[in-house]
Amino acid sequence: MLTAERGPRALWRRRRGVVYMALALLMFPFVISLLVDGQGIASVWNNDLGNARFLQGLAIEVFILGLFAISYDLLLGVAGIISFGHAMFFAVGAYGFGIMLKSFELHWVIALLLVGVLAVLQALLFAILLPRVKGLTFALVTLGIAAVFWIVISSSDLAQWAGAEIGLQGVETPVWFLDTTNHRFVFYLLVAAIMLGVYVLYTKIADSPMGRVLVSVRENEDRSLMLGYNTFWFKTAALIVSSLTAALAGVLHTMHQPIVTPNVAGLTFAITVLLMVLIGGAGTISGALVGAAVYRLLNFYLDKWFGGASGLLVGLVFVLLVLYLPYGIVGTWRVKKAGIKEGRARLRRMFERALSRS
Amino acid sequence: MADTKQIDQIESPGPSRNRRIADAIKRNRARATVLGVLAVLFLAAMAGIEADQWFGTIMKALAAGSVIFLVASGFQLIFGLMDVLNLAHGELFMLGAYVGWTVYTRFDTFLDVLVPMLLVAAPFALLPLWRRLGARVAALARWARSAAWGLIVLGGGLMLLSITKFPLVIWNAEDFAKTPANYSVQIDLGTLVPLPEDVFGWPMAVAIVVLLAGASALALGLSSLRKHAGAVPPLGRWNLIGAAGLIVASVALHLVRGPLNDWVFGMSTTWRFFIALIVASLLGAGLGALIEVVLIRPLYDRPIYTLMVTLGVGFVIIETVKELWGSSNFTMARPAAFNGSGEGCPAEGIGGFFSGCSTLVVFGSRLRVYNEGFVVVIGILVLIGVSLLLKRTRIGMTIRAGVQDPEMVEALGINVRRVFTMVFALGAGLAAFGGVLAAPSIGLYTEMGALFLLTAIVALAIGGLTSFPGVAAGALLIGLLQQIIIRFGQTGIHIPFVAEPFKPSPTLVPAASIILMIVILLVLPAGLFGRGER
Repeated sequence: MLTAERGPRALWRRRRGVVYMALALLMFPFVISLLVDGQGIASVWNNDLGNARFLQGLAIEVFILGLFAISYDLLLGVAGIISFGHAMFFAVGAYGFGIMLKSFELHWVIALLLVGVLAVLQALLFAILLPRVKGLTFALVTLGIAAVFWIVISSSDLAQWAGAEIGLQGVETPVWFLDTTNHRFVFYLLVAAIMLGVYVLYTKIADSPMGRVLVSVRENEDRSLMLGYNTFWFKTAALIVSSLTAALAGVLHTMHQPIVTPNVAGLTFAITVLLMVLIGGAGTISGALVGAAVYRLLNFYLDKWFGGASGLLVGLVFVLLVLYLPYGIVGTWRVKKAGIKEGRARLRRMFERALSRS
Repeated sequence: MADTKQIDQIESPGPSRNRRIADAIKRNRARATVLGVLAVLFLAAMAGIEADQWFGTIMKALAAGSVIFLVASGFQLIFGLMDVLNLAHGELFMLGAYVGWTVYTRFDTFLDVLVPMLLVAAPFALLPLWRRLGARVAALARWARSAAWGLIVLGGGLMLLSITKFPLVIWNAEDFAKTPANYSVQIDLGTLVPLPEDVFGWPMAVAIVVLLAGASALALGLSSLRKHAGAVPPLGRWNLIGAAGLIVASVALHLVRGPLNDWVFGMSTTWRFFIALIVASLLGAGLGALIEVVLIRPLYDRPIYTLMVTLGVGFVIIETVKELWGSSNFTMARPAAFNGSGEGCPAEGIGGFFSGCSTLVVFGSRLRVYNEGFVVVIGILVLIGVSLLLKRTRIGMTIRAGVQDPEMVEALGINVRRVFTMVFALGAGLAAFGGVLAAPSIGLYTEMGALFLLTAIVALAIGGLTSFPGVAAGALLIGLLQQIIIRFGQTGIHIPFVAEPFKPSPTLVPAASIILMIVILLVLPAGLFGRGER
């Protein structure tokens, strides 16, 4: 929505959700600490063991997945680019940062900048493919590139850097605010702030003229070309933004997890991100965050409560979600809100286009 | 949809013949170049392999290609004809292998499971009746949905309650002495130990009646939940005959199960293998049809969500298999006709097979008749059979027409939905068939589905997503590439100016086929034999 309204009131109306969310996330560990653990407020800062600390860890995972999912939503939902190689974007950040810190002992700022350069490079690699292969073929080629990356990362030839099939471990934490074991609350706040900041940025991108062009590419690329937009550059820009965000999520993942396994580059993870976006609703931006939260929490709690049968239940939940929430959680909510017919026709067009172009 | 262009070309009185040939060359220049380069590479690779290994390498490549083809063919049918990426396809392949193993190794268990399954299916044969009663339930207006769900829960509960009372001779997934892994060892040694005879927990008639009542309640609940458009067909004679037949058949099967088991276990394992192939394919096809009707059909409007549903189905199948068969790997013995190892084995030449050898030495290469012979032959037969089915039969014609213009075909009085269900069933049946066929050579493990599906997708992309014969070419190409790399992994490639020969490691095998796919797709976005911009 290109909003004509300006001024503080309009801004507050548009952004109050983010502010409420930020406040809720800030309060969350204290509430848990007080009510569930009965440990008092100071224990959050003191990093005491308990539900509060554990749930913060889980929340960090959700935020990281949310960052990753939101970056995919820009490609899939907004620009209509179907890529199955998105896990590589994440893994390059995770492995790149970890290896640079561990094996080359670079300063973390330099490592971060280098990861950014790598992210831009791989976005350009995908961008080179864009005019050559379209639709589903693009998806398959990106899947292939990511699969080769996964094979290389998990091969024994690179064991001294990437740790082969076991994964990358023993990365030292470079600065105190990236320390998830000793300063979890700070890390939690940092990741939450990054996630909310990226969310605001992405909604801005989606509402900006660039976002409009991307939507027009999704709806009808030939027509946007006729109108004089060089769609290639817009798609390249979307890829670069998406890749940088995914790499950032990967960096945070390396900091949060003791081991980075090759699974983060695998096909399963690429499908996971697709699932998170679909659960939340493609093209809704906020849906990606909701989807990531639902996916991770569902997986975690079903596994905790039902153990072995959790895979079965997760599968059933996916099936039910698709049947009863046809456009994802946020997507269906918006459709219901705005009048079923119009939105449904629009979304249907979008999906038909996305696959029929393939 | 694949053949429109060809038909147009034949029928339109185009420019002169020479001109058309020139056009065809121009259009296929990239394709011809790629095929030429591949041929040169193939010859170069063959030059690096000793002459007495040629035949063996090619046959092994054909064998690997056949298994990939059997997975990819069903996937291609479903995708090419219905635009549905069925991510549960690998799991259907795996399930087929497990069901085939059960029929092959533990026919008694299969029979015991079949009896309640047939009983559950019996009430569903009376579908018109349930639809009519369902309309009554739906007329309850406010309480309709609760009543329907109540019936479903009641039916499910009754079925669960009574099914546990049926006798079931089954392994114990936890106890190693009774796991499928152990059974597969036992049957390899020819010492299958039958489990103790099991009996009904309730009187037999009570268990059967309760199960039938449960299934009926479920059927009624399900049909009152769905809103049906159009007239309900009358309850015909065949519905009644079907239902009664299923009940009688299941009771009869239960009563004769002792002698039947003895008879089947007395058979040659070759016959049992064919029974397993047929049963698993039918079951796969039935499951495929069920998935299509219940889950895929509401989603034709939003194709990308079929990814999520089929993925969910895949998870459910994996977990069910882990629950029922345990998560340990096990093997399936080769059928007797392909398991001969008498005197003078391995024999020289193909004739040795008829004197009871299952390992032959042909043109200096040692080959197993099952892996490198039987599987290849069946793969080729499936290729020919399905191609003929699509091109030459009325059903195939209907399928192709239904894909091109569903509304027109519907207007001609053909039930297009049923056609799509048939395609899905055919694809799923092929996957299950491939699973049973591959099980004796690659073993059974729960990850086999995902593994082979990935390779199958690569083969599909190489061959062209829209072309059925293209899948076979892609699968063959991957098989060749794998075998050649394995071969060179043993000897090493001499690269000029480098002293040490380069030895590709086993991890390079999957990477090589994927790199081949990327290169081919960049040059030919439609794949080797695909048509048009896809």
